[in-house]
Amino acid sequence: MKAASGGNKKSTRRFYKKLGREKHDRIFAIMLLLPAIIVVGFTTFFPIAKSVIMSFFNYKLKANADYYWNDFLNYKELFQEGEIFTAIGTTFKFMIITVALIFVIGLILSNILNKDVKGRAVLRSVVLLPWIIPTIVTGLLWMWIFQPQYGVLNYLLMKLNIISDPINWVASMKYALYSVVTASVWRQIPFITIMLLAGMQGIPSDLYEAATIDGANSRQCFFKVTLPMLSNVIKSTLLISIITNFKQFPLFWIMTGGGPVNKTTTLAIMTYKNSFVNLNFGKGAAVSTIWLIILIVFSAVYNKAFKTARD
Amino acid sequence: MNSKPKARSYTILLILLVFLVGPILWMFVTSFKDNIAIYKIPPEWIPHKPTISNYLNIFKDKLFMTYYFNNFITAGLTTLFTIIISILAGYSFSRFKFKGSQILIMAFLSVSIFPVVGIITALYSTFKNVGLLNTRTAVILTLTAANVPFCMWLMKGFFDDIPRALEEAAYIDGCGRLSTLFKVILPLCSPGILAIGLYTFLIAWDDYLYCLTLITDDKIRTLSNGISMRYLGELSYDWGNVMTVSVMASIPLLILFIFLQKYMIQGLTAGSVKG
Repeated sequence: MKAASGGNKKSTRRFYKKLGREKHDRIFAIMLLLPAIIVVGFTTFFPIAKSVIMSFFNYKLKANADYYWNDFLNYKELFQEGEIFTAIGTTFKFMIITVALIFVIGLILSNILNKDVKGRAVLRSVVLLPWIIPTIVTGLLWMWIFQPQYGVLNYLLMKLNIISDPINWVASMKYALYSVVTASVWRQIPFITIMLLAGMQGIPSDLYEAATIDGANSRQCFFKVTLPMLSNVIKSTLLISIITNFKQFPLFWIMTGGGPVNKTTTLAIMTYKNSFVNLNFGKGAAVSTIWLIILIVFSAVYNKAFKTARD
Repeated sequence: MNSKPKARSYTILLILLVFLVGPILWMFVTSFKDNIAIYKIPPEWIPHKPTISNYLNIFKDKLFMTYYFNNFITAGLTTLFTIIISILAGYSFSRFKFKGSQILIMAFLSVSIFPVVGIITALYSTFKNVGLLNTRTAVILTLTAANVPFCMWLMKGFFDDIPRALEEAAYIDGCGRLSTLFKVILPLCSPGILAIGLYTFLIAWDDYLYCLTLITDDKIRTLSNGISMRYLGELSYDWGNVMTVSVMASIPLLILFIFLQKYMIQGLTAGSVKG
């Protein structure tokens, strides 16, 4: 690409004076970038910096509350109360379970849809449907299914004699987190499936032919050909889904609100509660700062792990 | 791989289909039931006496219609601004390589993955300081900023595929830089523009958090937030109503999906499969 652009530039020089054109190009390039820089700068770069700064200050949304440096009090409080460790644990637990499930189910589904199933074209569209259902609707839909007295799930499970008494899924200490996992998995399976399917379609069929001639069965084909050939797609989709689930907020807020008894309080819920329920902006910002650090460390480790795996 | 699927594959497929599509069908079925039918055990899988009274109630609800209308405005304007900004930035990144442009792209993309909840506190206080709190501008601005990094990166990819010779020819014919972009190059990437537009609309339509924190006025509140404020009671929900608003909230996206599926998927897969 770079070589080609060099060549093209040479040809344009025939028509324009060298210096004037290049200078104009640079100004033009920056002008084009300006709107993006301003908008993203104002609402993303700047708030990230501001959030880190706020976390060191006493900043409460109350009448006559002062804004002053409070000697890491926000952090001290967080670590002393210890709730943040539980929240970090819950966040990771939710993320790992959800990501593992969507990848296993997504791989199975895309592998089936990549074969000659009947009605493949229609099926491929139909399985994408949950992807376009709004997140809030997803939460409500599953709450209705999980509803203790009139919900379909309890009815079916009792009919099949799997449970004897109705379970209050969303409000139970044991199942609340898994209820949110279910809704989250449901909505994200389509995304993973499209990505993996697109990747599978890019695998040349002679690879499978060669493997089959060498006596590989379909299972070996999947593990020795399909999976290795998908490694790039898996790398990028894995990172996207890890991050998506790491920051899941609406599903938790709608379905459990972080309860029962903080059982489903993730970092997202904790940030929100500190800032907008307790109106302690400094502490909320401290939670987000810890969160950002975890994310940065995580991405760095992730990239390094994949790099060494490839070498 | 075109091997013949076995019976086991069909069984798994059937189970997954029930899991993926069942809840959506159940949402539609519930919305056509009256309050007696909804709370029947065993449930009526197909309503014996289907009714549209839930829908009539929703249409009569002025606030719901306001939220609905607001969602179109907010998502529509967000999409429009995102498209314009992404085209300009994507074009710049594709055609004018300068020192640090690679770093700038990476910076854009990596801040865009930061959790919104993590910066919403700072955003709230910033908007409060500049007097933009509780305005449509605030939500549209933040939603646009959230979508621009990924979309401009996709646009860059689409521009990269267009040969430079076209621009050279346009310059020779005396076209200015901007008119070259809009008259010569853009028509060639209309599928790309459609793809990022749909992608943005989908995300903007889905917004919950920005509206939840930045808006307190019912007149400009958007749908997701409106639903949770208005239809979720403290103790019991009117599930007929809730499922009906859910259907209403999903329908615009369903329609887009039915007609423009190809472009929606293209926008999604183009970036990640390449990268």
